[in-house]
Amino acid sequence: MRVAISVVLIAILLVLAGSVTAQSVRPPGDAVNLEDSNTLGPSNALGNLSDSDIWRDFRGGDPMNIDDIIRGPIEGQMMTRSGQLWREIRENYIRKYAGWFPVGVIGILALVYLLMGPARIKSGFSGKTLPRFNLNQRVAHWFMASIFIILGLSGLIILLGRPVILPIFGPTVNSIMTSAAMQGHNLFGPLFVVALLWMFIKFIKGNFFQIVDLKWMIKLGGLIGGHVSSHQFNFGEKTWFWMVILVGIVMSATGIALEFPWLFDDLRVLQASTVLHAVGAILLISVSIGHIYIGTIGMEGSLDSMLKGEVDENWAKEHHDLWYEKVTGKSATDDSTEVTKEESGS
Amino acid sequence: MSYIAFVEGPLFLIAATVFVLGALWRVIGIIRIGRKKDISPPKGSEAVGFIRGNLRHFLPRGIFARRTWVHIVGGYGFHLGLFVLVLFAAPHIVFIDERLFSVPWPALPRWGFIIAADIAFAGLIMLWVRRISDPVMRLISDWDDHIGSWLTFLVMFTGCLALQESHVFLRATHMLFVDIWLIYFPFSRLMHAFTFFLSRGNTGATYGRKGMSL
Amino acid sequence: MSEKSDIAVAKFLEHTDSEAASFFEACVHCGECADACQFYLTSGDPKYTPINKLRPMERAYKRDKAPFSSLKKAIGLAPSPVTEEELYEWEPLVYDSCNMCGRCTLVCPMGIDIAGTIRKMREGYAAAGIVPEGLQRSAEFVKKTSSPMGVTIKALKAQIKHQEKATGIEIEIDKQGADYMAIFSSMEIMGYPEVLGAYAKLFKCAGLTWTISSVAYEATNVGVQIGSGPMAKEILQRVVDAAEVLEVKHVISPECGHAYGAIRWAGPNMMGRQFKFEVVHIIELLDQLRREGKIPAGKKDSRRMTLHDPCQIVRRGGLLKEPRKLLDESCSDFVEMKGAGITNFCCGGGGGVSANPRAEEVKTAAFSLKVDQLNGVENLEAVVVPCGNCRAVFEDGLDAYDMNLEIIGLSELIADTLEEDPAPQGTG
Repeated sequence: MRVAISVVLIAILLVLAGSVTAQSVRPPGDAVNLEDSNTLGPSNALGNLSDSDIWRDFRGGDPMNIDDIIRGPIEGQMMTRSGQLWREIRENYIRKYAGWFPVGVIGILALVYLLMGPARIKSGFSGKTLPRFNLNQRVAHWFMASIFIILGLSGLIILLGRPVILPIFGPTVNSIMTSAAMQGHNLFGPLFVVALLWMFIKFIKGNFFQIVDLKWMIKLGGLIGGHVSSHQFNFGEKTWFWMVILVGIVMSATGIALEFPWLFDDLRVLQASTVLHAVGAILLISVSIGHIYIGTIGMEGSLDSMLKGEVDENWAKEHHDLWYEKVTGKSATDDSTEVTKEESGS
Repeated sequence: MSYIAFVEGPLFLIAATVFVLGALWRVIGIIRIGRKKDISPPKGSEAVGFIRGNLRHFLPRGIFARRTWVHIVGGYGFHLGLFVLVLFAAPHIVFIDERLFSVPWPALPRWGFIIAADIAFAGLIMLWVRRISDPVMRLISDWDDHIGSWLTFLVMFTGCLALQESHVFLRATHMLFVDIWLIYFPFSRLMHAFTFFLSRGNTGATYGRKGMSL
Repeated sequence: MSEKSDIAVAKFLEHTDSEAASFFEACVHCGECADACQFYLTSGDPKYTPINKLRPMERAYKRDKAPFSSLKKAIGLAPSPVTEEELYEWEPLVYDSCNMCGRCTLVCPMGIDIAGTIRKMREGYAAAGIVPEGLQRSAEFVKKTSSPMGVTIKALKAQIKHQEKATGIEIEIDKQGADYMAIFSSMEIMGYPEVLGAYAKLFKCAGLTWTISSVAYEATNVGVQIGSGPMAKEILQRVVDAAEVLEVKHVISPECGHAYGAIRWAGPNMMGRQFKFEVVHIIELLDQLRREGKIPAGKKDSRRMTLHDPCQIVRRGGLLKEPRKLLDESCSDFVEMKGAGITNFCCGGGGGVSANPRAEEVKTAAFSLKVDQLNGVENLEAVVVPCGNCRAVFEDGLDAYDMNLEIIGLSELIADTLEEDPAPQGTG
């Protein structure tokens, strides 16, 4: 399970690295700048220039000239080659492969569930509970979760409508769904920023990395080498927290650029934003599926921590022993575990 | 008959009728249960208390702020945002103009709509996620609470999905949820929109009679 | 369904008037009331959420009386009938852990009077005979002696004699045509008889005539606590009859919470007529006499004191400023506790809770909030508790929490701080 997430994570990071190089390509320019084209473009195209000169003017600039690439579209220019490059990345890489990441994660998780089943509390439920998340943390979490689901689904429709919905359901359905998804996505986008900030404030405590997390990581969360210790949040949870926060910041920034393009007025920013936004989204969506799995059917006793705010004592001993010892002042490994086991069995 | 013609025509008429008559029936039904006339010598006015009670409970008391802030922010955000959307959204004004009467106020600009919608959605989501994650609210909530929240969400959500006004299908779906919401309303706890003044007023009147100024 | 649940449900429905109906209709299940409830605050158990305590009655209403209920029943959407097991399950919530303090109403966005509706709900419980043993025992005492503690007229006369000796003022029993007739709670007569002497001093100073009836001296109304209308009426009848036979002009409701509401507000409605006398609360009366200059304040008590707000007198009785004015004039170091006034916490023993031994544990836990409030006042020496029942709960509570604090009644404090030799009265 954790291995799966790591594999997916690395793959996604590779894509992300690739996209970093992609963001410096030149954007497609104001392809229909009517005012300029009236004076420089087609309006005087019937003059004394040859066809190839006209097309050169249309395309504009020297594709090998780095200054042109960085400065962006030249005034009056009707075509940009960087736009073509951006389009190729979007169509040939992102749209082609993006959908497979979440699908792959779901497939792996289904396999894990079928082969290994959910992670049970080894010593059974003790019947005694410990408070884990307070009400404000729970509300912040579910607020973020709601916004995330709406944005994730509508975003996937926007990104994958053409390659997935269009061939199956036809252009009308695709058009309706894409229009709806775009409106929904734009409307809920700003709320993500609010939710992110709220999450950050409510969960930052306890989410800094510690030495014990290194051991957790080396043992892959207990998959190899037996029991792993952890404080209130383990390495996986901390990584997820920081991923949400850091990638979330990128998503917020690029999202704002795309929703309010006049704030930047620069096509390079917008082109880079679409790429980053899509890659970040696929990363978060894929990992969130793992998060949802562990939080619900994947691990016994973990959903209650977010619904009721409380976890079973035995759950805490097994998954967050150091936290258990800190809040209860008791040892997580003494023999009382055996006693509670018998009690709960009777 | 087309989808849009149905949901904006006969179904809307039926829904609006059920809404108006149902809500009236229920409010009148509650009042008609009646209560024994209070003959204890009054110290103050019941009528003043009725109004005062209604006004007083709009504002929270500071001492309870620790627990109530999510409800205050979420509750006011949702309700105010919703009222603004219902009354000032441009398509709504056009809809009322065409069918009922000429709306005397201007429509909200697009940015205003987005702000109101965001606040309303944030509020509604806050209220509902609190419902599923607070042990007290989990205990006292029933299916009516959840259906009411979700129906209202879907009405608002489908409305926003139709914002581009590019497909009649989306507009019709919004109207379909509006119709369902209107029909559900009088039979559900959504009726609190009309019963709150009775509840606050009755308590206020009792206080008023006792000469209390709460 | 059973006989008991039938009786209870019938009473629930009978007592769901348009006011209670509006409460059930308006509740949006927000759960804010939990944060106002002492029993929830001290236990964290959601079952103590005030509105949850009303659930059986709400269900009965929604099933059989609410608008559209027959329609909903026809299509199977009405709530299921209230069962006897459910009634028993809810009994501790209705009796042991609701002190009817009304704090929840303040926080409720819909202004729902949960305490008042609990009172109506108890009618169903009382009619069905599902009542805690302790309250039932009080009720039996009342039948015999009119006092829930079994205080006989003999015992009262003995206390009066003591007080006459202590103050040197005669207290006339059954005085025909007196201005005022005083009634007391058993708790005061047996536990704090100084209040009788205080009344004597105050009335003498004010130049007013007063008396105590030998047949109706008890103010406590167990009928109201249990929730039995007929019993409440029977108890009240004694007081009304005695006052009207003696032809007094006023009946003074004592420093006791629910007794004031029982006779002043519920009284005429229970009897179905207005009284031939006026009901006045002792705090109201003292304030009025003080404003009229009939009981001028003398040397102030210099102890550092605070005031407890009995729920039925302050939050639900409207006497908020009066005790504070009186205290300011009688005490040189009066400090408010945190959260004082309208939103003050109950002592924990209101609404019949203190008469119900089964509720001992939750009552003591609830008192911890009062302990926190008292501890919040530095160098506190005494607390003024203008309610006999609260006073008894305070004594138990302070004992349980190992606190040493003097508890004083308001009338005694006023009587003790009167001007030594006030100018003769009679004008006013």
